[in-house]
Amino acid sequence: MPSAHPYTSAEDAKIPQRHAFLPFLQSQSQNTLTRLYQRPSSCLSLFRLLAPVERQIIMNLLWLESVISPATMLTWVLREGRKLYDDALATLGYLHILPNNDKLALNSTFKSSFRQALTGGGTSGSFGTPASDKEEKKQPIDIDSLDNFALERWETILHYMVSSGTGQQPTKPSQGVLFLLQRSGLMASSHGLLQITSAGFQFLLHPPHDQLWDLLLQYLHLAEERQMDLVEVLGFIFMLSTMELGREYSTENLRGTQKAMLEDLRDYGLIWQRRPSSRRFSPTRLATTLSSSSPPLPTSTGASSGPQEGFIILETNYRVYAYTDNPLQTAVLNLFVSLKYRFPNLVVGSITRESVKKALTNGISADQIISYLITHAHPQMRKNNPLLPVTVQDQIRLWELERNRLKSREGYLYTAFASQADYEFVLNYAKELDVVLWENAAKRCFFGSLEGHANIRGFIERRTMGASS
Amino acid sequence: MHPDHLAVVLDLSPAHWHRPPLPLDRFLAHILVFLNAHIAARPENTLAVFAALPGRAPLLYPDPDAADQPPPADPNVYPPFRRLDSIVTARIAHELDSLTPDESLLTAPSALVGALTKALCYINRLNLATSQVDPRILVLSVSPDLSTAYIPIMNSIFSAQKLKVTIDACQVFGPDTVFLQQAAHLTGGSYLHLTETSALLQYLIMSFLPPPAIRKVLAVPTQDRIDFRAACFCHKNIVDIGFVCSVCLSIFCQPVPVCSTCRTKFPIKTLQRLNASRPLATPATPSSARPSPAATPAQPSAETPRHRAPLLTGEFAQNGASSQPVTNGSKY
Repeated sequence: MPSAHPYTSAEDAKIPQRHAFLPFLQSQSQNTLTRLYQRPSSCLSLFRLLAPVERQIIMNLLWLESVISPATMLTWVLREGRKLYDDALATLGYLHILPNNDKLALNSTFKSSFRQALTGGGTSGSFGTPASDKEEKKQPIDIDSLDNFALERWETILHYMVSSGTGQQPTKPSQGVLFLLQRSGLMASSHGLLQITSAGFQFLLHPPHDQLWDLLLQYLHLAEERQMDLVEVLGFIFMLSTMELGREYSTENLRGTQKAMLEDLRDYGLIWQRRPSSRRFSPTRLATTLSSSSPPLPTSTGASSGPQEGFIILETNYRVYAYTDNPLQTAVLNLFVSLKYRFPNLVVGSITRESVKKALTNGISADQIISYLITHAHPQMRKNNPLLPVTVQDQIRLWELERNRLKSREGYLYTAFASQADYEFVLNYAKELDVVLWENAAKRCFFGSLEGHANIRGFIERRTMGASS
Repeated sequence: MHPDHLAVVLDLSPAHWHRPPLPLDRFLAHILVFLNAHIAARPENTLAVFAALPGRAPLLYPDPDAADQPPPADPNVYPPFRRLDSIVTARIAHELDSLTPDESLLTAPSALVGALTKALCYINRLNLATSQVDPRILVLSVSPDLSTAYIPIMNSIFSAQKLKVTIDACQVFGPDTVFLQQAAHLTGGSYLHLTETSALLQYLIMSFLPPPAIRKVLAVPTQDRIDFRAACFCHKNIVDIGFVCSVCLSIFCQPVPVCSTCRTKFPIKTLQRLNASRPLATPATPSSARPSPAATPAQPSAETPRHRAPLLTGEFAQNGASSQPVTNGSKY
């Protein structure tokens, strides 16, 4: 489970957030990456996951045949942008897109594939073979049904997670999904029942796009352990992200590993097939928006109800009005809001000390609660500045601080000094080492941290030996 | 960050594409790759392509009559690229075919201002439709300045400033254009006069692909000399010294007793004084661009890349033979 990124407002483009997927790619061997770069669709999708500066550097170098010295390139960089530029070069280096830092030249495989992606042509067939219309008489599935399918699959997974342990019996996702949830540490088995973990609670509050990538990352780790060919798995995921919504593709040109993946991805709602044995498949919106960075999310707030972008209104009196009839959203809200009334299209509750404390003990942080409220704020709320009432934000943070009033540190208590002078002498030595955590002159004792113990002990021993000899 | 909207104005004036230093099909191949690169950066990025033809400025992409069947999918091409390329090439072919072989129409100046205005209207419509985009306009021009277009161009520049639209301009070949230089300068864009047309794509990508946010990290060429001369309202001449109406700010090439725009009468004394102060031997050909203090780059680091630009592209040009972008479907 990658650590939760704090939500930054959309305007905050100064610090580009690195895509959660890149660290995984960086950990792969150069060989794997080079094989991945053979497919134009992979290059295009990967390119879209990069930060804007990284994209521009690639573009600048893409059509050059000769090698550019870093000094030449550096003259283009403005002084304020130097750090961003250096970071971008480092990232590209890790991804083996810029293999050599002394000479700026793109990895030749990446270069030729990406050129091919931009200009078209070639015979790689990496953007998916469309199914020919002659084979089947049935009409291809329309986009609405695809969306409904994806939404139903995805919400089944989330709803199962959120209602585990509440005694309800929601629909179970398939065995493969359950296994993945357990492996990824989002759920843990206790007394033979799957229970959501604190990582799982945090996961629920992420925006859907992050959730999807988190789950896919876990899937990739699993694939690694299952000795599946990572290049094939990654290539397939990247290919899905460049496919067109509402079009049917043929499974004919897929490799063995990729055919095996069809079943898993069907369970997550990324692709749709008429029958499990069908020789054609359609990617859903979950799959085709994978490489887009902005949040036109496939599952956002339910296609059936309310405006797409947000549904929560939070007032200064801690009241929460959520315009939704979606059981999943209600269940997620229930994690940190104590719900009071329920109407056909509206849920009313309030944020209380108890409800927030319950969320905190589940492992959810105050920042996550606030970022969830911001992400799902009703369009009416967006006129406010600041968006959320400051009192409520501060109070949620204060409630979190309440839990952190005690801090425990390991260490040693030094007592029973023979004289005040003795005590002060050792204390001064300890203070010079900066290891004193607490002292009490009246009782002639002090508490030192674990690291300083060996030194203080040696000091006292040397002193007592010096005194006795 | 909002997605970027790029409006491209292609100057397809037949008079200037007759025997050009860069064949039109090569030019379009470069442009199509550049457009693909814009879409490649983010799936949400949008694009509008306008053609400036003699007397009209049709919208090429997105296709106004989108009833056309989507092209069959090709496993080797990313579907949006394929759609973009086929629509743009088909529409350009259609527009060029429908040009009347009338001599007077073919040599008529292309409707660059019309295309610019349409692009601004399109952006305004996007803004109204709540979709938040960072808009930009790129003008690829081959024609020289049309002094009658001075007032409409200035008006477009003012609307662009109001809409916070950056106008980039690229003179692919032909003489420098004063008005596009001013448009780029006043809207914070970049103006390039290409010297090496075979490296067009590299120029386009390095100078015009990055959105304004990236230009704060990786510099784009800026102008250190801008021709700020205006055209007079009376004879549409580009003037070195103009006389400005103190009421409505209209520009005239000689002192006039009555402002033709706002009908203000000027005292005869003033006219005499102005006439006396005019330099007698006004050079017929105005001296070339005057460097202006406002145009010199503020940061020294922005200065350096300017001189580097030919270096990168020079290397590109040397080895350019194998790097010709070949775009599918561009048959001319």
